[in-house]
Amino acid sequence: MCLRGETMLKIRELTKTYGSSIQALKGISLDVPPGVFGLLGPNGAGKTTLMKILATLLEPDAGTVEINGFDLIIRKDKARRLLGYLPQDFGLYPTLTAEQMLNYFAKLKGVTDKRQRQDLIDVLFERVNLSAARKQRLGGFSGGMRQRLGIAQALIGQPQLIIVDEPTAGLDPEERIRFHNLLAETAGDDAVVILSTHIVADVSSLCSHLAVIRKGAILTSTTPQQAIDQLKESVWEATVPREQVAALKSRYQVISSQMLGGQARVRVISKGVRPSEEFKPATPVLEDYYFDLVNQRETAN
Amino acid sequence: MRNLLRTPFVAIFQNEVLLNSKQIAPYVLMLFSVFNAALWSLGQGSSYYGQELLAKYGTLWSINSDYYISHHFSGYALGIFGLPLFAAVIMAEPVRRDFRLEIHPLIFSKPVSRAQYLLGKFFGSFFVLVCCQASFAATLILLQVFHPSQTPVLPFRLLPYLKHFTTIVVITYVLFAAVYFTVGTLTRNPKIVYGLAIAYYPLIFSYGLFLLQELPPRWRVILSPLMLKEVQIQPWGRNPKWVDQLVVSYTPIMFANRALVILAAGVCLTIVYLRFKITEPPAKPENFSWLNLSAGSKILYFDPPILQPTTGDTESDVRSVRVEKAEAKETAVPSVSSSNTGLRANLAKLAAALAVEFRLLRAERSLVVITPLAVFLPTLELAFYRVVPEGSYSATYATGTAKTLLFFVIAMTVFYVVESMQRDREVRIEPVLWAKPVPNAVLLLSKFLATFLLILSVIAIAGLTAIAIQLLRGHSPVELYPYLVIYSVIVIPSIVFMAGVSILLNVVLREKYLVYVVIVGVGAAVFYLYSQGYNHWLYNPMLYQLWNYPDLTSAGGKQSIILIHRIYCLAASVACLSLAHILFQRKSTRGVRMDGHLTDTGWSILLALVSLTTAIGTGWIISSMH
Repeated sequence: MCLRGETMLKIRELTKTYGSSIQALKGISLDVPPGVFGLLGPNGAGKTTLMKILATLLEPDAGTVEINGFDLIIRKDKARRLLGYLPQDFGLYPTLTAEQMLNYFAKLKGVTDKRQRQDLIDVLFERVNLSAARKQRLGGFSGGMRQRLGIAQALIGQPQLIIVDEPTAGLDPEERIRFHNLLAETAGDDAVVILSTHIVADVSSLCSHLAVIRKGAILTSTTPQQAIDQLKESVWEATVPREQVAALKSRYQVISSQMLGGQARVRVISKGVRPSEEFKPATPVLEDYYFDLVNQRETAN
Repeated sequence: MRNLLRTPFVAIFQNEVLLNSKQIAPYVLMLFSVFNAALWSLGQGSSYYGQELLAKYGTLWSINSDYYISHHFSGYALGIFGLPLFAAVIMAEPVRRDFRLEIHPLIFSKPVSRAQYLLGKFFGSFFVLVCCQASFAATLILLQVFHPSQTPVLPFRLLPYLKHFTTIVVITYVLFAAVYFTVGTLTRNPKIVYGLAIAYYPLIFSYGLFLLQELPPRWRVILSPLMLKEVQIQPWGRNPKWVDQLVVSYTPIMFANRALVILAAGVCLTIVYLRFKITEPPAKPENFSWLNLSAGSKILYFDPPILQPTTGDTESDVRSVRVEKAEAKETAVPSVSSSNTGLRANLAKLAAALAVEFRLLRAERSLVVITPLAVFLPTLELAFYRVVPEGSYSATYATGTAKTLLFFVIAMTVFYVVESMQRDREVRIEPVLWAKPVPNAVLLLSKFLATFLLILSVIAIAGLTAIAIQLLRGHSPVELYPYLVIYSVIVIPSIVFMAGVSILLNVVLREKYLVYVVIVGVGAAVFYLYSQGYNHWLYNPMLYQLWNYPDLTSAGGKQSIILIHRIYCLAASVACLSLAHILFQRKSTRGVRMDGHLTDTGWSILLALVSLTTAIGTGWIISSMH
């Protein structure tokens, strides 16, 4: 559990409707402390809409977002000075080199001192492992390289609010891990990093806090440890023939089933009671919590 | 029996046509073709030779005589308005596009032979090229029916158009298209093809002058890619009735020439077939150091195992990733000082954005085609026809270039403003840029100024070319003053106005093609009104047909009204830019005042009010002076 400092970002009753019928955000309220904050949710949950509002790119219908004492919705110009944003889907000018592009972003961020800017760019290239490609045109960059440059530009100018939307898409496992470490390091004690993802493992390994969003509403806001603790002695696991999975699903609350060596490994939730002889107790992980939460809401609906 | 329409060749052909239909170049070529067909046919009375004919015989050549049709197609095929450049744009890309978009593995993993692929690509693009060229022929055909009453026309005919179009234009361009396609496909570098297209003009003239000229007449015809006529008809100075009765027929030698051209195209395609490889040359390996995003702890990260090993599991069952610390040094991201408020900081951002925007505009491939055209066409008449000095040679040269150049630079201004305004959305960099602490004014002004600088460069090149021609033709003395006055009073304010209007339309309409449709539609309507005599000063920002060089000097009587009109034009441009800023999709602040100061929007509203008042005031003065 990692509850640090006071709330830095306060989101209150944030609502956004597209057209006349698609309600992307239904009055969301959240308190986000410094550190890495995970925003979990399936595709279409409203994560990107929330991210875009926080990144000053989208106007909400109602609600406030307070950061460092001012409303981000009203003072977008001020908020952008604190912001580092890595969108889910973005491009770069293909005819510029990586260095020209990063230099441009640094100038737009107000880094006017040439020497400082050069030092910053050198380090950023080194940290995202693009030093050798800095003179290459961006048109020739692979998806992973583009993503790494996106990470570098989001870190320019000591941002206090870093918003990263599905950042590890296109990164290989090693890059992904190192990116997580860089994020954790950047967050420190005085910056908020909001990591929007549908990969539960990313949140589990990186975030001090998390919220689960689904159909435009926050289902829960907690810490990974608290979430896992809620499932203590409730998760059971068994390896069964594939044909039995359907029957198990009808009898128990199955949270996941995964094929392994021709058989299905099934995990179920059963509070304090062993479902049957073949099941053994399992250590709960955040993914169990997430699936359990989503399943409960599905059932309730 | 196998259905021919379902072969891979036809699928590739259709797809190529579809892809080309989404490009801009074919539509621009069509517009140019239609415009030129109308200009050449209906504008003959205003040309030097037309004036001579009218004075001598009281009539002009019929616009649908056999000679005239053939003459038009020969001029069109020669590429007076840059047809070879457009052909290069269409034919350079088909194969390279698949490799650039990395779609080639998907295509080549299907049962498609190399021949089917290459022929489908070639003929698909060539079909589009021919369709564009056919708009020239179609306009000529329609002009037989729709034309001003004083235009001489023979009874309606169709066959001569088809005959001459196919023989002169289509067959000639089979060869050009095949050459461009071959070079583009084998090098996968469109710049080489564009270079070749630009070199076309000096090459074709040199070929004619230094090689064909030395050959016997028969060989001259056989070896000419543009098909010289075996019997040269000289209609200049002849009675138009005599010209109208001429019939242009093709001799066996000329047919041999056409066969040779087709054969040469076939040779090019064979070379492509033999040399084309579906694999890309091996790229340089990524010579990167090891990833070193961070190196804080001994073991950086354990992917949390979703499944814990239980009895009976092997290690390989557990899909966990464990990464040991990379042996790399850690460098902390340095702290930097940022400056985001105040005029100085914003000017620095404007300079940075302007530099990038200008660099991006310079990288536009269309410039390779459009710039030579914008320089070549306005100076064409000065270079090859008789120049009668009006006041001075320099004034005549500057006026002559400015009048045609204005059309080009206005079209270029619209095109490049639209491209730069839409670019950020198209390359998907908009969310990244818009999240940066940059005022909207910087984003908009950088695009405006970059386009302005680009067009200014084109004007400078055209002006220098006109001066060079003036010197080469011995029409001295060269005076810079007329050039400076005409370009700065007539051309530059018109560009500023068009750029301002285009930026506003982009902000309001947002859709690229909608902007084009509105601008082209309004432009065509206004041009039609001007041609009908409705060219009042207040809705004539380009001063079309309203000025001559003496009017810009104290010698003419319009100097004051022209200067006031220019202020009117510039004020309208500033109003457009201010409105664009107010309506810009990206918002920064709410309201017009904040913390006791005017916000950006507040300043824009103030500027819009001042500029609109100025425009209305100067407009009122112009009305009262007119």
